[in-house]
Amino acid sequence: MIEVQNLTKSFKDLVAVDGVGFHARNGAITGLLGHNGAGKSTTLRILYGLLKADKGRAMVDGIDVMTEPLKAQAEIGVMTDAHGLNPRLTAREHIEYFARLRKMEKTEIQRRIDELIVTLDMSEIADRRAEGFSQGEKMKVCLSRSLVHDPQNLIMDEPTNGLDVMTTRSVRSILHKLKKDNKCILLSSHIMQEISALCDEIIVIADGKVLMQGTLDELARRTNESDLEEAFMKITRQG
Amino acid sequence: MMWSIITRKELKDALRDRRALGALLLFPILGPVMIYFMFNMIIDIAEEAGEVSLPVIGAQYASDLIDYLEQNGIEIETVNLNAAANPDSDFYSNAQLEEISVAISSRRFDFVLLIPEKFDELIGASRSSNIELHMESTRTTAAPKIGRVDGLIQAWGRETAALRLIARGVNPAVIAPVNVVRVDTASQQSRVQSILGMVPFFVIMAAFVCGMGVAVDVTAGERERKSLEPLLVNPVPRYTIVIGKWMAAVVFSAVGLVLVMILNFFSLSLVPLEEVGIVFNVGSLEIIGVLVTTLPLALFAPSIQIFVGIFAKSFKDAQAYLSFIMMLPMAPFFFNMLNTQDREFWMNFVPMLGQHMLLTDVVRGETPEIIDFLLAGLSLLFYSLLFVYGASQLMKRERIIFS
Repeated sequence: MIEVQNLTKSFKDLVAVDGVGFHARNGAITGLLGHNGAGKSTTLRILYGLLKADKGRAMVDGIDVMTEPLKAQAEIGVMTDAHGLNPRLTAREHIEYFARLRKMEKTEIQRRIDELIVTLDMSEIADRRAEGFSQGEKMKVCLSRSLVHDPQNLIMDEPTNGLDVMTTRSVRSILHKLKKDNKCILLSSHIMQEISALCDEIIVIADGKVLMQGTLDELARRTNESDLEEAFMKITRQG
Repeated sequence: MMWSIITRKELKDALRDRRALGALLLFPILGPVMIYFMFNMIIDIAEEAGEVSLPVIGAQYASDLIDYLEQNGIEIETVNLNAAANPDSDFYSNAQLEEISVAISSRRFDFVLLIPEKFDELIGASRSSNIELHMESTRTTAAPKIGRVDGLIQAWGRETAALRLIARGVNPAVIAPVNVVRVDTASQQSRVQSILGMVPFFVIMAAFVCGMGVAVDVTAGERERKSLEPLLVNPVPRYTIVIGKWMAAVVFSAVGLVLVMILNFFSLSLVPLEEVGIVFNVGSLEIIGVLVTTLPLALFAPSIQIFVGIFAKSFKDAQAYLSFIMMLPMAPFFFNMLNTQDREFWMNFVPMLGQHMLLTDVVRGETPEIIDFLLAGLSLLFYSLLFVYGASQLMKRERIIFS
């Protein structure tokens, strides 16, 4: 469960996040929808403890990210915008590294990696070095290493950017399975199609402010537009 | 331990990196090979200066001088000229001088002594005569031999002068109020010493060169790959991450140090040092001493490199910054070269200078005080930790994580 209240963050003169507040519940996929530069990544980075907010509160399972960042980080899995794989390490080594950093048991690590390799269909690349991986393959490695410790909360920044249909579909099915396991999933995207296909709850962000939060149906009702894209345009124009 | 997870991963990565491995293996070979060849050159020169063979033209005209030279260990090599002599003059003709200069420039010999026909006659009549030593002063290898011949001829001249004065009832001391007596404490040895002085330089340099590839890769490289952000998402304190990365570079640096040390001692043991009068005994105690002295360097050099590497956004940036850092090991080397005073207490606290002096002592076969070992080592450890702390602070900066 992720809660954000009145979050504010400026970089010099630019106010990137301006009083953002929302709630992402367990057993649901919550999507931050906004243009590039709307403040989505900044909000997420505050949530996973790499940026300090100027004002406001960010809570993960009741733990304040600002005061206890390491404890909060232990409760989340994060897929950052940049994949940042090391070309000389194999897919398995990447996942293993993060699992070790999360203090998992050796046997548990192996069991979990084997499981993820099957779920994400990675057997072909598991023992290959990351050099030359396709976007989809890189994405699978990143997703596995953010899920290896079976976190209660999953934060994903632009998860389906540049993916082919096959990978997108397998990512979707994994997210749906996580949702069924009562996990809390928070993702950001600027792709309407992605958001409408995946998210139970949509938060529309523009210029660092939350303009609207609700389910797809609620957004449609409040804007009188059945199509999310049209609804989004209407909301952001008002803002 | 948490940091060791990071260290192990970085080492695994570095061992697959040809560039980092290359620096680790290539550099330690460089110094010892250079030292080996330089020593052999010096020893060759020393041996050659010992047995001087002197080409002489007109040896028959200066029988007394030639005898004197031979008595003093100069081997006389009589040279006959083919060119025609000058019938009008008692000195050599232009054609003959031309032949001599061709012989020198074609390296038939490096120098030659020219004695004029009337030499003995002039000397016998208590007059003076010129004598010419033809040479090419740019040939430095011949310089010690020329110096020796010149010195002997001067000495003979003084002796002759003294005899002439005595024959006239004058004390020779009248015209020689001052006599400079040169006591040469073996110039070869001091040259050897200055080469031995390079050993500490190579050792300190190795600490910097061998760990640099790893230090850059785990900092600037991580930023360039954009893999720093995903790493920091894990619940691991920043100092743990920095220590882990530092230690990976330390391993490379330490391996490089030990390699350079072994290879240096190996190459010194191959050189016939006793021929230039140097006794170089390296026992296990000395090796332990040197290791204790230098291993803190393997902590220090990577700590600066990690600190600087975090500043850099890319390999290119890092290389630019670190090329300045690479100048650091030269500082104690030059300081020691220019410094005329003895070791002072404060020098132990100057990073690398303490180590440099300790190594110089050990290489020269002196045993430094234990307190110097301790102070130099501990102060270096302190500076290393300072840089590691600084690096952990830098890693908390938002601008460094996200750019």
